[in-house]
Amino acid sequence: MQKEVLKSANDNAKTEFSPEEDKFSHVRTSSRRWIIAHLLAGPNKFIIVIIFFGTIISSLLGSGLMVLIGTAIDEFSVGDSSNMLSYAIFFFIFAVGSPLLNLLMSLTRENLAQRIERDTRQEFYVSLLGKSQSFHESQRIGDIMARATNDVRMLNFMVSPGLSLLFESFMRLVIPIIFVAIFYPIDLLATPLIFIVLFIITLRGYTRQLDPVANRLRAEFGQMNAVLNETLSGIEVVKGSTTEEYELNRYFINAKGYRDAFVDQGRIMARYIPLLLIGLAITASLGHGIILYIDGKMTVGAIISYVGLMSTLRFPTFISIWVFALIRLAISGADRLLDIMTKESEIDENLEGIEQKIAGKVVFENVSFTYPGSDKNVLNKIDIMVAPGQTVAIVGTTGSGKTTVTKFLSRLYDPNEGRILIDDIDVRDWKLDSLRSQISYIEQDTFLFSDKISENISFGRTSEIEEIQRVAREAQADEFIEQLPQKYDSEVGERGVQLSGGQRQRIAIARAFLTDPRILILDDSTSAIDSDTEDKIQKAMRRILYGRTTFLITHRLSQIRWADLILVMKKGQIIAKGSHENLLKTSEEYRKIFVKRFNLDEKSLLEEVN
Amino acid sequence: MGFGIGLGAEEYDRSYKDRDLVRRVLAYFRPYKNSLIIVTLFLFAQSIVNALIPIISREAILQLEIADDIEQQQLYIIFLIGITLILNTLGWVFNYYRQTLSSKVIGDAVLDLRKDVNVSVLNHDMSFYDKYPTGKIVSRINTDSRDFGQTADQLSQTVSSILLVGIMFAVMLTINVELTLVVLLLVPFIFVIALSFRKAARRLTLVGQRALAVVNAFVQESFTGIQIAKTFRQESKLFVKFKSVNKQSYQANLKRAYLLNFIFPAMSTVQGIALALLVIVGGTATLNNELQAADFYLFLQSLQLFFFPLFIIASFWPSFQSGLSAAERIFALIDTPPAVIQNDNIVSKKIEGEIIFKDLTFSYVEGKEVLDKGKTSENKTKAKKEVKVFDDFSLNIKPGESLAIVGHTGAGKSSLAKLLARFYEFQSGDILIDGVNIRDYNLKEYRKHIGIIHQVPFLWGDTLENNVKYGRVDASSDDVRWALEQAGGADWVDDLPQGLNTNIRERGSLLSMGQRQLVALARVLLENPSILVLDEATASVDPFTETRIQEALEKTIKGRTSIIIAHRLWTVRQVDRIIVLDHGKIVEEGNHDQLIAQNGVYALLYNTYFRHQSLEYIEKAIEWS
Repeated sequence: MQKEVLKSANDNAKTEFSPEEDKFSHVRTSSRRWIIAHLLAGPNKFIIVIIFFGTIISSLLGSGLMVLIGTAIDEFSVGDSSNMLSYAIFFFIFAVGSPLLNLLMSLTRENLAQRIERDTRQEFYVSLLGKSQSFHESQRIGDIMARATNDVRMLNFMVSPGLSLLFESFMRLVIPIIFVAIFYPIDLLATPLIFIVLFIITLRGYTRQLDPVANRLRAEFGQMNAVLNETLSGIEVVKGSTTEEYELNRYFINAKGYRDAFVDQGRIMARYIPLLLIGLAITASLGHGIILYIDGKMTVGAIISYVGLMSTLRFPTFISIWVFALIRLAISGADRLLDIMTKESEIDENLEGIEQKIAGKVVFENVSFTYPGSDKNVLNKIDIMVAPGQTVAIVGTTGSGKTTVTKFLSRLYDPNEGRILIDDIDVRDWKLDSLRSQISYIEQDTFLFSDKISENISFGRTSEIEEIQRVAREAQADEFIEQLPQKYDSEVGERGVQLSGGQRQRIAIARAFLTDPRILILDDSTSAIDSDTEDKIQKAMRRILYGRTTFLITHRLSQIRWADLILVMKKGQIIAKGSHENLLKTSEEYRKIFVKRFNLDEKSLLEEVN
Repeated sequence: MGFGIGLGAEEYDRSYKDRDLVRRVLAYFRPYKNSLIIVTLFLFAQSIVNALIPIISREAILQLEIADDIEQQQLYIIFLIGITLILNTLGWVFNYYRQTLSSKVIGDAVLDLRKDVNVSVLNHDMSFYDKYPTGKIVSRINTDSRDFGQTADQLSQTVSSILLVGIMFAVMLTINVELTLVVLLLVPFIFVIALSFRKAARRLTLVGQRALAVVNAFVQESFTGIQIAKTFRQESKLFVKFKSVNKQSYQANLKRAYLLNFIFPAMSTVQGIALALLVIVGGTATLNNELQAADFYLFLQSLQLFFFPLFIIASFWPSFQSGLSAAERIFALIDTPPAVIQNDNIVSKKIEGEIIFKDLTFSYVEGKEVLDKGKTSENKTKAKKEVKVFDDFSLNIKPGESLAIVGHTGAGKSSLAKLLARFYEFQSGDILIDGVNIRDYNLKEYRKHIGIIHQVPFLWGDTLENNVKYGRVDASSDDVRWALEQAGGADWVDDLPQGLNTNIRERGSLLSMGQRQLVALARVLLENPSILVLDEATASVDPFTETRIQEALEKTIKGRTSIIIAHRLWTVRQVDRIIVLDHGKIVEEGNHDQLIAQNGVYALLYNTYFRHQSLEYIEKAIEWS
């Protein structure tokens, strides 16, 4: 289902999030186009023009200085000292003006480079925020991190120093050849022209060789980052299983892969043929000059300066090794960014969709779902009908699809078959914003950001501290928060206070109170709650169900009894539905879930009902 | 501030003396000393060749003007052209070897460093990971080490530049002593200018590296928690925070780039002054016929060749700062001593499983982010709070005994398990396993005897089979199936797209939470540990599956010491002994029946719990509002 549509023109790529106008989506067809569009965006094109001309002026200043030195010495040697002071002043101005100009150029260039890094990273991040949940689940976060930081940085390096070196070497290649064309016998153009042609051909060969290595280098880095990030995220398991050696080895293999790509890159850069060509060209120019001299077409002085001019081509030839490696790496980096950005996301923001208050009627019609790349149904022909304000309990054995069912409501996934209607409108016709802001989840394993408790509670809706405290009280979370070192300002999450499952769950309940959703999904298959706080939490949960349509994933009988409708799931299907009493009588599976737990034999359970 | 977006140092950061830092950087290149020397020599040879070619070409051309023995002349010219051809080819060959070797040296040294820092990071105990976000650590290990690698290039360039400057200096001396002295006068200024950048370069580089690490950590957190952002439709909140983090990195790195770009133009200005002075001094000398015009020209040309390597030498120290600041960040990570260390190296083939906690004292230190404006980490603002978990705690567990620990959140139940696994270091007292101090065991061998199943299972982005046999790679598919059977049944496995070979994705996101717990349980069962710790291991599975696990566990528990941490009391009725913990103290002890008979805390907890499950309670709960 999730085809690898890497380079498809995606003018109308689907996204769940578009905070501002996306100026670059139409150029994401190729990394080159995309990079160029960024280089030419807004004021950037002027900066590039400035850098281009600045480089020309600065290299003219440089050559001018050498000409000036020559004429000065000529004058001195014939005993003319009249201009000595002005030469000194000129030299000083040249020598100071040229670096000053260079400074201005490099500051401008740095500015452009850093801005391109910032802007492309932001573009990448926004694009990721807009990707569907199923997309994110298929990604390795460490690799995404590598793309967002290191691959983006390659674009920075391409501009600074890459771009200005490119201009500089271009100028330094072209200007001497123009000089040759103007000041010397036309024959002498032969060597530089042949050199240029061969240079271009071999340069193409060079970049083609770099191509796969640069791609490998970037991919290996991503891989290395992904492995390391995963290992460190699961460090407790690593330590518990004493697999440090194994993990180290896994990392080492990847770091070695990166090292090998790096060394291969070095080898290709070393084999750079133009550098050999320029040496041959300089020798040839010497030979050619001498032949012309013998024919009486050239003076000794002219040969010296001609060969000298040809020697100046060495520098740009040498620098091109780096310039093209930097450009190549930037293209590989951009490819990796575009790989992600152009991957098709299934779900769209649907800005023109319906936007209204949800009453709470929910209908599932013949819903089936398959994970990408598999033909086995996770859910099979689900039909549900819920009236506004009703509470639906979903029960079933582990892995029966209870949680998955609820994920279609706010379109975390779309089903492969069938449809879901909220207030008789297909969820795909709702504006995503309107839909999601009215549906809340209280998840099994609540994710907390590395931030203050107050920020975590008000994640769904920015609120005043008084209101945050109010909902915390409602969610029975107030008591333990007050006992934390910095109370509501305590940092939680990856760094900071470690909260227990039950405490995290209460933060999630507080979150839901604050957003006051029309439809609530409460995934409480976890039972990681202290018995003594059970009462409080149950009451908080009971309270939050009021006045909204609720899906309750649970095994607690007390909660099940709140439900207007109970769905029993098994292997992705609803095998029974009805009330508690009803199901006890009719559903073997339903009885099976509870019988042992309560140490009741089936008979007495049935008798109780009757 | 939130999201840890500050640019402060981590608590383990420290400042090293430059000398120590350089010594340690060099130590990483020592194994490749010979290669580095060759690289430097080739670099030097390449410059010499490049300098020789014009001289020889000139010589060849000048021969044209001397017209005695034309035949011999021609031979000589052809000979000289041949030499330039050879030199040109040699130049390419030198460059080839230099480049190949230097990328090998850099690649290898960086690999060594990455390995070392990874070893040290993996040796840290959990208190380290509680404190520092993994995103930032990852950035240090992978990104900063790249900056470190560049120091090799800088080193060899500088050494070859020193050689070049020496040669050019000699050349200039032979041309004209006075002019050389004029130039020499200005050299100190170049160094003063370059070195004045050193401190700022280091500081700004450090800030830049930190800023990128923050971006890294932020991206990691954003997409770990993306589902929350989606369900609450709060992508824009993340976006706003991202923008500020990204801007911070932009500003920090722009500042650094600006600064570094000042060095060369500033030095070039001195070069300009030198040129102007030389024109006056040299020009006057030429006029007075004290200096040949040709020599003057040659001198000015040599001057260009003298200044460029000189700039490289002078700017070495400032540009070396990027590498040093990366090295500093990495060495700080390597040098942080792990809190949990083994005092001896006892390896036990088999552990019987007797556990004695003796007068144990343990407190967590709740760390607060340390902000010090990017300078040294000495003036920390200490906002730490010690949270005492155990004070003088004693407990004996017999080999093969099954023990349940119950009590409220924060009573210390999980801490006990983590101390047992040596995830944290305790402050005083002893833990004895089979009579041997826990600190004396070989850490890794010891941990192999302990199997812990955590509340929140962590799974790898790998196949289901590899996840189950993570702790015992030699296990067969049948073993894996057996372990899954033990852990509540393996029938669900066949519903996965590729059965045991299904890639369950990073953190096991393809599986439900309950299934993830089953996998984690199977993983530990396969390891067959002597001591088994179940920390709410079955909290997310349905009652039916849990019962099946319970039955399987009853068999597994036999013959090994088991510690069961439970909130739900019905799971603990079968164990040999139950202890009730409250604020790090044992308040009750005994088996289920005894404790019920005692009618104390346990009985109260149990009755509350049981009441919650009772039908009356359920009926009452319906009325709640």
